[in-house]
Amino acid sequence: MKNRFTIFFLLAAPLLLPSAARAQNNWTLEKSTLTYHVSHPLHEVAGVSHAARGKGVCRSGKCDFLVAAPVKSFDSGDSNRDLHMLQVVRGADFPMIIVRFSLPESELDAPSIHCNLQIQFAGQTVEYKQVAFQQTIQGKDHHITGTIPATVSDFKIDPPKLLMVPIKNEIPVDVDMTWTPDATGAAGGKSSH
Amino acid sequence: MSAQTNAAGFYTESNLAPGEYQITVAAAGFDTKSENLTVTVGASQTLDVTLQAALTLEDLGISPQQTQANPQEQARLNKRSHMLQVHQRLGLITTVPLAATVISGFFAGGKRGVTSSSSRDLHAALGSATVGLYAATAYYAIFAPKIPGAKTEGPIRFHKALAWIHGPGMILTPILGAMAFNQRSQGEKVHGIAKLHGQVAIITAVAYGLAILSVSVHSGAAARKAHAFFGLFHSGNSDSADAAIDGALAKAGTE
Repeated sequence: MKNRFTIFFLLAAPLLLPSAARAQNNWTLEKSTLTYHVSHPLHEVAGVSHAARGKGVCRSGKCDFLVAAPVKSFDSGDSNRDLHMLQVVRGADFPMIIVRFSLPESELDAPSIHCNLQIQFAGQTVEYKQVAFQQTIQGKDHHITGTIPATVSDFKIDPPKLLMVPIKNEIPVDVDMTWTPDATGAAGGKSSH
Repeated sequence: MSAQTNAAGFYTESNLAPGEYQITVAAAGFDTKSENLTVTVGASQTLDVTLQAALTLEDLGISPQQTQANPQEQARLNKRSHMLQVHQRLGLITTVPLAATVISGFFAGGKRGVTSSSSRDLHAALGSATVGLYAATAYYAIFAPKIPGAKTEGPIRFHKALAWIHGPGMILTPILGAMAFNQRSQGEKVHGIAKLHGQVAIITAVAYGLAILSVSVHSGAAARKAHAFFGLFHSGNSDSADAAIDGALAKAGTE
């Protein structure tokens, strides 16, 4: 029988910082395109953001990644709809979409990647397990594409309506990212855009 | 069960039943880590766990100001959305008396001795209802909070531009209609500027209908052809949405 036993560290945290500074391998998100898709009987909407920033740090055979994009950066080509989207997802209260995921370092060059994504959005934290991504490597650039199967209900969003008809629950997010290894190997550096 | 370490990071837990345990260690700003432990009878065991500092938004160059909540802006957005939803609903409701007014207008026109006063009365009543609902619809759009820094792009530009046609039209039409009504009531043929009542009304109604369509339909062959014809609200800023429309416009031109 397995029991759960949780311990919380508090003031021990500062003692651990030096080990974080000796990270061996870092990654930076060079460019990205995130596209959400919304379906309605009268509309097919795609909102695009190129403003995501990301970093990855590899330690002890495991790589942790953090990607964040401002909610306001998504542009569907219709300012009225973008403002409504901002209101519906509480974009002023929660201005960022934050995604965390981890990968074994041994899988960084694999053509097909499956990882668990933890996504913070609209005040909710949702985990998507084993999301599939495809990877192609050109020189140092790792080009990764895939689709996150997000839904409106996952994030407890009140689905917007047009002419009294709500949008579909599924709001898949297409991901297109290019990651490059950080030559300096130092953690915590600022990303360049 | 849970416990907290002391300031030096030490913890103890006593009198555990023997068996398999999963120890999960968490701290703010650090990765959470889990380890398995088998507890045996009468043995004192030690499990040291090292946490790594988690990546933070500051590591990405994102300042705390960029992630700070803005409740005032959210309240503004909420009010704006609510008012525009009312605007949308009133706008749709207004189409009913508007259509009825236009239809009844064909039977209330200035043919002396042919149209009855009751037809004109009905037309006038429907027109009044239309103007009243239109005014309420316009109120919610005009006074919905503006969001500072928000640009105007997409079909909403066309929607707003059409308001400069149906807005003045909704003022002019009842004025001309009242003039025509008085002339007919006095047994005169409709003349002078009052003769324009019908034409102004039709233009107003068409502009109003297009305004609704412009923000209602944004996909499908009909919408693409409309977009190609007017081409007024194509901003060219959005990569995927406008690229998709660009492709569709090119295709529509060959259909």
